[in-house]
Amino acid sequence: MPELAVGLIGAGGIARAHLPAWLELGAVVTVFTPDDSGADLAALHAEQGVRVARSLEELLAGSEAVDVCTPTHTHPEVAIAALRAGVHVACEKPLALRVEDVEEMIDEAERAGVLLFPAHVVRYFPEYAAMAEAVAGGAVGEPAVLRFTRTGSYPVWSPWFADPTLSGGLLVDQMIHDFDFARLLAGEVVRVHAHVRGHQQAPAPAGCVAAATAVLTHASGAISHVHGVWGLPDSQFRTTFRIAGRGGVLQHDSSRTKAFRVISQGEAAPGEGIPATNLTESPFLTELREFAAAVRGGPPPRVTARDGLEAVRIALAAAESDRSGRAVELGSRNKDDVQEVVAR
Amino acid sequence: MKVGVLSFAHVHAAGYATQLRDMAGVDVLCSDPDAASAAPGELRGPALAEQLGVAHVDSYQGLFEWGPDAVVVASENSRHRPLVELAAKHGVDVLCEKPLATTVEDGRAMVAACREAGVRLGVAYPVRFSPAYAALREAVRSGGTGSVLTVAGANNGSLPAGARAWFVDPELAGGGAMMDHTVHIADLLDDLFDGARAVDVYAQSNNLMYGGEVEVDTAGLVTIRYDNGAVATIDCSWSHPDHHPTWGGLELQLVGERATVEMDAFGQVVSGFDETNRRGVLLPWGTDLDGAMLRSFLFGGADEGAVQVADGEAGLRSLSIALAGYASARAGTPVPVG
Repeated sequence: MPELAVGLIGAGGIARAHLPAWLELGAVVTVFTPDDSGADLAALHAEQGVRVARSLEELLAGSEAVDVCTPTHTHPEVAIAALRAGVHVACEKPLALRVEDVEEMIDEAERAGVLLFPAHVVRYFPEYAAMAEAVAGGAVGEPAVLRFTRTGSYPVWSPWFADPTLSGGLLVDQMIHDFDFARLLAGEVVRVHAHVRGHQQAPAPAGCVAAATAVLTHASGAISHVHGVWGLPDSQFRTTFRIAGRGGVLQHDSSRTKAFRVISQGEAAPGEGIPATNLTESPFLTELREFAAAVRGGPPPRVTARDGLEAVRIALAAAESDRSGRAVELGSRNKDDVQEVVAR
Repeated sequence: MKVGVLSFAHVHAAGYATQLRDMAGVDVLCSDPDAASAAPGELRGPALAEQLGVAHVDSYQGLFEWGPDAVVVASENSRHRPLVELAAKHGVDVLCEKPLATTVEDGRAMVAACREAGVRLGVAYPVRFSPAYAALREAVRSGGTGSVLTVAGANNGSLPAGARAWFVDPELAGGGAMMDHTVHIADLLDDLFDGARAVDVYAQSNNLMYGGEVEVDTAGLVTIRYDNGAVATIDCSWSHPDHHPTWGGLELQLVGERATVEMDAFGQVVSGFDETNRRGVLLPWGTDLDGAMLRSFLFGGADEGAVQVADGEAGLRSLSIALAGYASARAGTPVPVG
């Protein structure tokens, strides 16, 4: 079987994280961006056979699957073009910023008979995967109260992140990871309440901070707390969780699980001299391998398009709660009610 | 100094009695006349006093005739009021176990009674005396953190029904985990924010862990919006496993515009494993918070800037937050803090 022909759309941070994974998987990668950044990225990896496409049409014509790594507000247009061309789509999270856009993407995928894979990479982080497997196996009993935190430095490297109309803001762009995970563990979410504080508009000046707290109520009665931070420039990327039920507790704090640590290195700057080491396989590699296998007829990926839809629904409800100051009900799956919830 | 302990109902009563027994210059006398009302198997009354090596008198009247300088009230939550009023009537300073009461009406009456009698009313929030909290307080008050954006706190414990059954009696406890464990962090923030007030509360709760065993809420998340712009979410759940070597803990992270800080009030432990009993071991070596609180109440704080024992008004404010949490959980919407 020939190598997978992958069209990488975008050349920003996440595209640069996905590209080495695709190369590791032996894919033949073509990059497209509407500006010159795609050509620059392809040139960096020319020796590994990465080429650049001059148009989206050219990219789609030569691809078996595409990997949509563009800013969130462009996902529907790009993904739908690919789906209509009959190409399998992996799409960065969030799938879109409106529920009806995600629904249209799903309809197009079903019509074309191709995959629409939401790249919720946290599902592939080994600590989260181990916990999810244990919870599914009954390790804590029925989950009753769940907590998640996620901290990184404020994404100032690309201006669209700070603009909630383009990224959805902290709740939708970052905390959607934990909304998805809470739903995976404790089931459908029926009520959401959230507050965002700090800087949430473009431009994002250096040193700005945003933080948000959200409480989810699941149909089972379980409750989840999600705390997200876009922090100061020196914020170490850190995640924590604590999943509790009658049968036990599972918890994690990434700041306490570093298996290799540089204790001192004189006057060298952090990261200089002794390189940072990935001690586990890159979750992006695990994620894209699973997608690639599914493209070639293997088992479906662990994250479905509907998971991506429900995660968007929860995240948009959280953003709506922040705006209105009220709790937002998600109990009904009636389409009109849902549209009312996400109306801006 | 003569100090009385009124009732052994609360799990902390034995600790207070022991602390006072060992405190230089303090004589302690306890009274637990309602011991017979306790659940079968709970060690109370003269038997517990004997085990602790403290004197016991059969009636509260007898205790006040002894002439105490101060008393500690450690009865069930809904039975604080008559004992605090009794102390006020005798002109005796009183330190009341938390939460202050189970209704705002009772809390207000207690505050008024003590004010009119000219006695001090303190509420037993020992975590105020944690050095970790002192460091966090200094970081915020000095401006080091900048404006506070969010606080994520957790005060988890195991279900306390095994030690004292009344903790899961809705009448005597005034609720479950949300009443028991919202108030500690709410009180820390009340002190930390130095005059800022809670505006509204959103809370959700469940009893998935102990349904069929107890009638009260055993898990809860309480989000509090303050008028200084900060918002805090507290996990107040009794979600700490029964057989874990500790009772639980209290941790919080505070995100400010200029710094993020976090504290772990009970994190100073030596950890290990006991092979004989086949269980984990955690040996706390941090500051004795109950002792620091009792000394501050009885002998005064170090200096004016230091943390003080929560007063009745502060106790009323943290109680109001827990009560607003219950109202919110019933309504499914944020509710104003009464």
